[in-house]
Amino acid sequence: MRRRLGWAVLLLAAAGQSACAPGDADASESNDVLESRAARYTAALAAPDSGSTEPIARWMLPPVLSEISGLTLTRDGRLLSHGDETAQISEIDFKRGVIVKHFLVGDKPLTDDFEGIARVDDRLFLMTSAGRLYEFTEGENKAQVAYTRHDADLTKECELEGIAYDSVTTSFLLPCKVMNAAELKGRLVIFRWHVDSLSTPPTSKLSVPLTSVIGSEAWDDFAASDITVDPKTGNYVLVSAQQKGLIVITPSGEPVSARTLHDMHNQVEGVAITSDGVLILSDEIGTTKPAALTMYRWH
Amino acid sequence: MQFFKRLVDLLTLGSDRPVRRLIAYYAFLGAIAFILYQFVPASHRLFAVLPGDQLGATPTILQDGLGDLVTGAKSAISSADASSSVSTGSSPTEFAIVTLFSFLGVLALMLPVSWVYMSVGKDRRHNQALAQTLILLPLVVAGVVLIVQNSLALAFCLAGVVAAVRFRTTLSDTRETVFIFLAIAVGFAAGVQVMTVAAVLSILFNVTLLFIWRYDFGRNVLDPSPAAQWTEPLSELAKKNGAEQVPDRDLLLALTPKKVDVLAERFNRINKIIGSNGSKPRYNAVATIRTSKVTEAQRKVENALDDATKRWRLDEVVTNTGKPSTIHYLVRTRKSVGRDGLITAIRANAAGVVDDIEVELGDAAVKEREKAGA
Repeated sequence: MRRRLGWAVLLLAAAGQSACAPGDADASESNDVLESRAARYTAALAAPDSGSTEPIARWMLPPVLSEISGLTLTRDGRLLSHGDETAQISEIDFKRGVIVKHFLVGDKPLTDDFEGIARVDDRLFLMTSAGRLYEFTEGENKAQVAYTRHDADLTKECELEGIAYDSVTTSFLLPCKVMNAAELKGRLVIFRWHVDSLSTPPTSKLSVPLTSVIGSEAWDDFAASDITVDPKTGNYVLVSAQQKGLIVITPSGEPVSARTLHDMHNQVEGVAITSDGVLILSDEIGTTKPAALTMYRWH
Repeated sequence: MQFFKRLVDLLTLGSDRPVRRLIAYYAFLGAIAFILYQFVPASHRLFAVLPGDQLGATPTILQDGLGDLVTGAKSAISSADASSSVSTGSSPTEFAIVTLFSFLGVLALMLPVSWVYMSVGKDRRHNQALAQTLILLPLVVAGVVLIVQNSLALAFCLAGVVAAVRFRTTLSDTRETVFIFLAIAVGFAAGVQVMTVAAVLSILFNVTLLFIWRYDFGRNVLDPSPAAQWTEPLSELAKKNGAEQVPDRDLLLALTPKKVDVLAERFNRINKIIGSNGSKPRYNAVATIRTSKVTEAQRKVENALDDATKRWRLDEVVTNTGKPSTIHYLVRTRKSVGRDGLITAIRANAAGVVDDIEVELGDAAVKEREKAGA
C-alpha cells in the first residue's frame, strides 16, 4: 500500500512537472507565434486603407482581466489597462497579444469602482465612478506603487465612467454616463478638470444636446463608458457599452461622426487611439462573450 | 487511515501525546507541500499569499480571438496558440492538477481536525456522522466555490438549488457547530485556491482546541471537575461497606448501554492510575479528604502522607460553595500501613481540620494484601 502511494505521488509530481514546465521547444514555438502576430499587425497597417470596419487583431483576455475597464497609452505607446474593482494595472502588448506585466496601486491593493485611466506625461490617474482620482506612477511587474488621492465629487451631477487627458486644454475629460442632475438629462456632458487644480472640483464642462451628436443612429441615450482624444485631430472619441456605439465630436462639441460597433463586442469599457492610427477597444466579459481587446484601423 | 497512524507513530516514536502527534503530522504535510512547490510549478498557485502573487502569470500569451476573420497563417497560429497556452498557466491539464492538489490538501488538512474532534468530544463520545462530514463537507464546498467563482449567475443558481435541499440537523454540542464552520472555511479557502489560509486555519484551530480541552478552559468552578466525576461512581460503590462493591448483575442490567459505557470508562481510568492486573502500579489507592480549611488541611495531610505512604501525588482539589471542599490524592501505600492505618495517620496529623477521610484501594493493592495474608 505504502509503495503504491509513493508511486502515485511520484507519477503525479512527474505529470505536473511535464505539464507545467515549458520546454525549449514550447518557448521557441511561442516566439514563432508572437513573431507571426507582429508581422500580421504590421502588414495590416501597411496595407492601403480600404475603409474596412473589420478588426485587424483581437485578443481574448484571461480571468485576471475579465472585468477590464479603461485603457490608456504610455508616452512610448504601450497600452495600460485596469480592472473594475481592484486597482490592478496591466500592460498589454496589443500588437502581439501578450500581457507583459501587472502592478498594483497601494500597499494594500485599492478596491473601488474603477472606471477609467489616463496619463499626463509620466503620471497615471485612475478614476472611480464618483470622480475620485488616484494618482501614481508606473510600476515594475508585480510591484505595489504609492498613490495620491484627489476628489472631484461629481455625484450630484452625474455618474462617471471614463477619463482621458486633453493636452490642448491641459484638462482631464470626464464624460457623464448617467445624469443625476435634471438639467443635464438629454445632453452629452463632459466635465473638464484642469490638471493643475485637482484640489478643487471641476467647474468647466462641455454640454451638447444628444440629438446633435448621435447623427442618424436610433439611440435614445448615449451612456458614455470611456473617452479618448484622437492624437491626430484632437477630436474627442467616446464609446458607449449600453448603446454599443461610438461617436466623435470636436473639442467644441460639434458632431463629427457616430456609428454602431461591431456585433462581436460585448460591453465596451475602454477606448484608446494610437499615434499610428489604431483604435483599441476593451470589452468586459459577458454571459456568452469573453473579455477581449480588439484593434481596428482608425479612419 | 492506518497509514497515517503508522506514519505519525514513526515520526513521534510512538508518543501518544496529541500535540506532539499533531505537530508530526503537520510537519509531514509541510514537507509534502515543500516538495510540490519545488517540483510542480502549477502548485505555486495554491501557495499564493501576497497580493502580488495573485496577479497572474506574466508574460501571458493571449488567445487569438479573430477566428475566421483573418486568413493566411491562421491555422499555424491557432495550433501554436494551443501549445503556447500551456506555458501561460491556463491549460486544462494544469487546472486539473491544481484542482486535484487543492482537494487532496483539503482532505489532508481536515483529517487531523476530525481526529481532534473525536478526541475532545464530551464524555469521549463523538458523532460518527459528523466526523465523516468534517472530511467530506469542505470537499464539496471547495468544489462549489470553484464552480461558482466569478459568476453571479451561477451563484444565484446555486442559491436556488441549495434552497431546495433542507438541512435540519441538531448538533448536541456548540463546539460541533464550530467544527462545521471550520470545514466550510477550509472548503472556501481551497475553492479559491488559497491553501495557506486553509493550512493556518486547520493548525491553529486544532492546537487551540487541544489546549482548551487540556486545561478545561471556561469550566464553572461550581461544576464538578473531570477528576471529581470519575471518582464519584467509585465512591458511591465503595462507601457502603468500606470495600470495593461491585454492582450486582441486576443493577448492571438496569443501566442503559450509554451509562454502562460511561461507567466502564471511568473504571478503566481508575484502573489505569491505581493499577489493574499484572503490572505494579505507581499508585495503588485514592485518598479523598473533605475539609472546609483547604490550605491548612492540605499541609497537614501531606505531612501525614510523607510519613505513612511510599509516594503520593495531589490529583485534584475541588472547591465547593456551601459545603466542604474535596482534595484527592493518588497514593502508593506502604505494606506496613494498611488502609485503616493510613486513615488513622491522616486523622492524627490533621485532626480538627478534616471533616472526612476516605481511602479507596485499587485491585493491585487488594491482591498484594491478600497475597501477604495468605
